[in-house]
Amino acid sequence: MTTQPTIIARTVVRTVVPIILLTAIALVLQGHNLPGGGFIGGVLTATAFALVYISYGSEYLVQALLSGAEGAEGTGAETESIQAESRFLSGAIGTYTRMFAFGLALAAGSGVVAVVLGVPFLTQAVALVHHVPIYKELEFASALAFDLGVYFVVVGSLLTILAVVGDE
Amino acid sequence: MQPDPAILLSVLAIPFVGAAMVPLVYRLLGERTAYFAAGIAMLCFVLLLSQYENWGTVTVNWIPSLGVSLVLYLDGLAYLIALLASGVGVLVFVYSGGYMHGEPGRMKYYAALLAFMGSMLGVALVVDLISLFVFWELTSVASFILIGHYQRTPSSLYAARKSMLITVSGGLFMLVGFLILHLVSGQALGGMTFTLIGTEQSLIGIPGEVDNAAAIRGALHSAGLFIPVLVLLAIGAATKSAQVPFHIWLPNAMEAPTPVSAFLHSATMVKAGVYLIGRFRPLFVPEHVVIAEGWTLLFVALGLATMTIAAILAVGAVDIKELLAYSTASHLGLIVAGFGFAEVIGGEAGVFHILNHASFKAALFLIAGIIAHEAGTRSIADLGGLRRDLPVTAIIAVIASLSMAGVPPFNGFYSKEFLFDAAWETAAQTGGVAWVFPVVAVFGSVFTFLYSVRFIMLFFGERPEELGEVHRPPLSMLAPVGVLGLLVLGISISPQTAFNLLVGDAIGSTMLGEHHFKVYFPTKVTPPVLMSTITIVTGLLAYSVYDRLHNGIRRVRSIPPVTANYYYDSTIEGLGRWSNLVPRYVQTRILRTYAAVVLLSVSAIALGGYVVGGAGVSLAAPTLAAPIIIILCVAVVGAIAVSVAPSHIAGVLTLSIVGFMVAVFYVLASAPDLALTQLVIETLVLVIFLLVLDKLPEYYGELKRSRAVVDGLIAGAVGVTVALTVLLTTAAHPNDSIAHFFLERAPVPPNPDPVFVDWGGGGNIVNVILVDFRAFDTMGEISVVAMAALAVLTLIGMRNRGESA
Repeated sequence: MTTQPTIIARTVVRTVVPIILLTAIALVLQGHNLPGGGFIGGVLTATAFALVYISYGSEYLVQALLSGAEGAEGTGAETESIQAESRFLSGAIGTYTRMFAFGLALAAGSGVVAVVLGVPFLTQAVALVHHVPIYKELEFASALAFDLGVYFVVVGSLLTILAVVGDE
Repeated sequence: MQPDPAILLSVLAIPFVGAAMVPLVYRLLGERTAYFAAGIAMLCFVLLLSQYENWGTVTVNWIPSLGVSLVLYLDGLAYLIALLASGVGVLVFVYSGGYMHGEPGRMKYYAALLAFMGSMLGVALVVDLISLFVFWELTSVASFILIGHYQRTPSSLYAARKSMLITVSGGLFMLVGFLILHLVSGQALGGMTFTLIGTEQSLIGIPGEVDNAAAIRGALHSAGLFIPVLVLLAIGAATKSAQVPFHIWLPNAMEAPTPVSAFLHSATMVKAGVYLIGRFRPLFVPEHVVIAEGWTLLFVALGLATMTIAAILAVGAVDIKELLAYSTASHLGLIVAGFGFAEVIGGEAGVFHILNHASFKAALFLIAGIIAHEAGTRSIADLGGLRRDLPVTAIIAVIASLSMAGVPPFNGFYSKEFLFDAAWETAAQTGGVAWVFPVVAVFGSVFTFLYSVRFIMLFFGERPEELGEVHRPPLSMLAPVGVLGLLVLGISISPQTAFNLLVGDAIGSTMLGEHHFKVYFPTKVTPPVLMSTITIVTGLLAYSVYDRLHNGIRRVRSIPPVTANYYYDSTIEGLGRWSNLVPRYVQTRILRTYAAVVLLSVSAIALGGYVVGGAGVSLAAPTLAAPIIIILCVAVVGAIAVSVAPSHIAGVLTLSIVGFMVAVFYVLASAPDLALTQLVIETLVLVIFLLVLDKLPEYYGELKRSRAVVDGLIAGAVGVTVALTVLLTTAAHPNDSIAHFFLERAPVPPNPDPVFVDWGGGGNIVNVILVDFRAFDTMGEISVVAMAALAVLTLIGMRNRGESA
């Protein structure tokens, strides 16, 4: 796509993306009781990034996302072959792959905790906490950790695919 | 006394643990890893020694629901084989410390050799057929790595592939035999079993207490499977023990480093086959018979043929390791023939020769390694007069070779006498054609005598001019040879001691009933003594024409169709050519073909299943609300629009109309979770599609009518299948207990504890199912998602990195 997105599109994206992200997070957190959950939240988050990507390009996305953490480009001192090697292990895609790896580890780890406690793999527990200010009663489900794992896997995977396909 | 389960299990586990530790140890010790490995072998050896005469069974349940358990059984035969594997293992590892100096891939070498030793111990100790098969194939895999040690040499790769193909395919025949035995045991014993021996419910029973062998034989006969099972097992044993015509992998396997040859081809790998024959012998050979039906003819013929043919080929060998390889096949033939005779003395011949052959052949292989290492050549023609350069080695070589030749009073003589005795007795009692047995046995032994003398002559006679300086071997290489030489001498001096300690019990394992085993030096002239005399005299006379025999054999071997290799090579070549044809039709590299094949086969399987299962579909139209009908109509219009879309972009956009309509349908059908997911996914897919489409041409051009028709038919078939599936699955009403369970258990319980596990505690059942009740499924799904991302990453993102463009 050689044509640039219009100013209108960019402005709208700038306003809408935070709202989408907030909605996504809300969907993840409320998933246990209302429509939502890790999968939907993850896909929605990926969509938000896709919007940024389309309107501003991958460079911007990387800079905004990873400002300072690790640049998309290798430092000048590196030889080209090392750049080619590290291109997929650092930079944007590296972050995404690490993200879904983290998600998988989180989901599996939440299951292993159950094994450590002596119940079958992936058994979930729920704890109710009463007399909390404002919320009065709060429910903590161990399933949330698993759901967050799902969320990270989905976001990481979709962004990986998006970035790789977009690079072409 | 029963064996200690912990000790037996650790004997099985220690070599593998050691193999896993090798990379780490190698980093710390470097070349001295050899001594670490020798220590591991020593540990196994000592642990085994502690179990001496603790014969008995150890059962460890493995998969109880399938009746699969790990059954370890320790008796004389298993003990002998395990002791040889670990004992020779110690010597070979020490020897490797000197031999492998400066060789490539030592870390892999030690790890593979340890794993191999562990597999061999497993073959010796386990008696349930499934575990036996697993360890059996593990020895093949480990030997594949060891024989192919020099990965850059084409001949080494050829040798590794050949041994793998032959031994593994033979193992598969054996597996079929095992499964038949398993099935038959159900009728014979009233319950199917995989255990060969050592328990009440085993195929053979407990020797001396329970005898199931006759019942199994009867059941095999009545099912007409007696001969098939025997042949299947024989193929397994023959491929592993390099019996004619499967002996061809053994000479090639000499590509391996010499310690590997010494270990695999004297004491272990090839002994697995003869061990199997000895182990199954009580099952097929009844007590007090001269000829066991099927068994005697099969194994005596196989063994004597191998013994003779391989001995002749050894005389034709030009390389010292090749000579020893053929000699190994020949001696294994002797053992097989010994086991083949139903006479008690046949079992004596087989078992005693297992020990004797391991002692002298391991020594000779290690000597061959010393010669190759120090003289720099293995060609028989280039070697001679080595006794001045390698005096100690020469003495041991003479002793071991005379034992190999069957010259009294060395130990090889005794086991060969047993074989002659068994052959003579069988012939005398049966008469007729059976007289072929003793004649062939003597004929083959003459050639054994010939090549043994030829090996001795490497150390005598004139030293060729071209032979450069020959160094003395390091102590780490000489000491193991010395130990083996002493072992040969020890058994030679007092064979009865070996019988009392080890061999007697092992012979007892290969037959039913009680026997007393004796061995003594013959003082009277008996038929076997006469046969030995004929062998030695003829051998001495024939040695004067050794060169002519050698050349004659080589000339005959140069005609391809005479050799078994010719058939192996042409089979492999033919298979290779045939498999080259496959990609042309299967691997077309056109996505549409793959898609068509996958979709059509899924549809065919599903539809076939419905037809076979007799599924019926009620065509009663469901009542639908007006909004849903409108939505579905729009979706249909979108679908039609897709098929007539003039470009990719238009196609993708119209396709997403269908997707969004489905999402709306979900909303109307009160499934908000699905609707949300569908909406978001649809959006994302659209974005990704548009990103990709940028790269594609606008359209492929004019469509061929015939192709359009075919595609239409495929699409139609898939559509019909999916529609049918939906109708069938939604019409089905199994009992609703699962749905009820979810409905009941998903929310917070009425009077909740502060912490509860049994209830979902969530208002959204879909999500509770996803993350709680069916979390394992979700786990699998997110793994797939991650895998898909990795696949995209490697296929697209990294495609320019490697050689694949």
